[in-house]
Amino acid sequence: MELTFWGVRGSIPAPGPGTVRFGGNTSCVSLRTSGGKLVVLDCGTGARNLGNSLLGGPFGKGGGEASILLSHAHWDHIQGFPFFVPLYIQGNTFHIYGGAKSSPMLEGILEGQMAPQYFPVQTLKNMGASIEIVAIKDGEPFSVEGCTVTARTNPHGRSGALAFRVEDAGRVLVYASDAGYAAAGAPAESIALYRGADVLVHDSTYTPDDRKRYLERGFSSVDDAVAVAVAAKVKRLVLFHYDQDYTDADVDALVARARRLLDDAGATSIEVSGAVEGETLSV
Amino acid sequence: MKVKFWGVRGSLPVPGRKTERYGGNTSCVEVRSASGTRVVVDAGTGIRKLGKEIAADDAGPSEVHLLISHTHWDHIQGLPFFSPLYQKGNKLQVYARKRDDLHLRAVFASQTDDPYFPIPFEEAKADVAFSELSDNAKFEISDVKVTSARLNHPYVATAYRLSVDGKSVVYVSDTAPFSDILFEDQFVAQPPGPGAELPAADKKKLAKMREGVVRLCEGADLVVYDTMFTPEDYKKQPHFGHSRPSDAVQICHEAGAKQLVLFHHAPERADAEIDAILAETRAATKRDGVKLDVVAAYEGLELDPENV
Repeated sequence: MELTFWGVRGSIPAPGPGTVRFGGNTSCVSLRTSGGKLVVLDCGTGARNLGNSLLGGPFGKGGGEASILLSHAHWDHIQGFPFFVPLYIQGNTFHIYGGAKSSPMLEGILEGQMAPQYFPVQTLKNMGASIEIVAIKDGEPFSVEGCTVTARTNPHGRSGALAFRVEDAGRVLVYASDAGYAAAGAPAESIALYRGADVLVHDSTYTPDDRKRYLERGFSSVDDAVAVAVAAKVKRLVLFHYDQDYTDADVDALVARARRLLDDAGATSIEVSGAVEGETLSV
Repeated sequence: MKVKFWGVRGSLPVPGRKTERYGGNTSCVEVRSASGTRVVVDAGTGIRKLGKEIAADDAGPSEVHLLISHTHWDHIQGLPFFSPLYQKGNKLQVYARKRDDLHLRAVFASQTDDPYFPIPFEEAKADVAFSELSDNAKFEISDVKVTSARLNHPYVATAYRLSVDGKSVVYVSDTAPFSDILFEDQFVAQPPGPGAELPAADKKKLAKMREGVVRLCEGADLVVYDTMFTPEDYKKQPHFGHSRPSDAVQICHEAGAKQLVLFHHAPERADAEIDAILAETRAATKRDGVKLDVVAAYEGLELDPENV
């Protein structure tokens, strides 16, 4: 499978000269499966560019089908949804999976963003595509576009965010954004979910100092990301969800720190990089 | 009076190399009087950096008056990231058009409700108050005189004129021209068919609305205007509620305004394209003998109408 980053930033889009290299759009990653199907992980503002890139293919003609996995409904993970053009083309089909007590509740959350006081389209029903919305349960594997997906809720401030393990033709991608583990470290269930992943895309919002300063926000530091990568013996770690105030140079420093920490831990075989908007990597 | 642009984009923030010069943040404009009264129009993502500047510059507690044109995301989505909101002693007064179906406070409170945002509105430590305005409201914010007019936009938007220090600036965003569709609360799914005739009542209402906007802009030193659409965009999407530069020029010309600021740039518009739109608009005003200075808003632009 192939992974493409469309938004790598946390909290709020961060336009400006300081972020052009890593990118300023909020979280959105697409996955092209071994069978050629499309899975989208989160719908931050990066989803707009993803949607536009699909218009030359079946999604532009109303013949597209894809699944969208939502880690949680904080704005930076859903705010690109109303600007994802394939959703407005009749004939396209989308299956949306996310965490909520029930499917109607998840639908209500997405409807809340489209309400007339906030957005001119007023309701999901005016979007055109066929949209199926499914609430998922922790730890119960389900099938998505020919892949097997398992989700687990990570602690994230006052709430939680789902991490996804996607297995496709013997390869494993894990997407774990917005994870704020307790001082004791990540729970065993999270490490089990990440175990042996070929690629782990992990929340690395902060430096250790900023993590302490903003502890209650519930994000990982780069050190937390390295710790779970080592514990779960993943093959490659991709840093993700950078703080909105971090410049490209700040993110370079996060990546360099991660490399050093991995080497210090004797995990020299684990590859590490920072997610870059527009880049594709092979799992 | 000083006018500073913190966010100049419409629809959604667009980071990246293509928008580096004009900026990718959504709508936010700050107006400061010589005496220090601070009025901010709209709270798109640009307001985040304004908040940082206020926190860094102001020795004491801050007082901000926030006028909201309408509550579509690109005009309010920055407010939860406006740091003065979380500082005790600060004051924030929010003004927007009154709706019968929805209280203004609820519109803002829902934005930070679970599961959308981690910090609920009740936890903002600043003293926050809401003023709901009637159409054509007239009021004062310290030494700044404010007047308003209704705009032609889905779910209705409001234009504001701020007058202080003998100068005035008018903010007209978002609005469609007052010719092809009348926008109220309903969703318009399709553009009107070619040559579609409007009902007489709609025409009358639009003419009145347009007259209100021209009057609001009368003799203004600065007019900041929604010019999101090119003529081609407008042909395709007249039902989306945005104007072309030529619509703004025409209104400014009739109103005898001095300077027009092209604003609320489309998300897909690259820096070079905005340069071209600005050049075309200037060439057109010259060709048509319209005496009007035209600039294109960019993030960080500061205008001092004294020097226009």
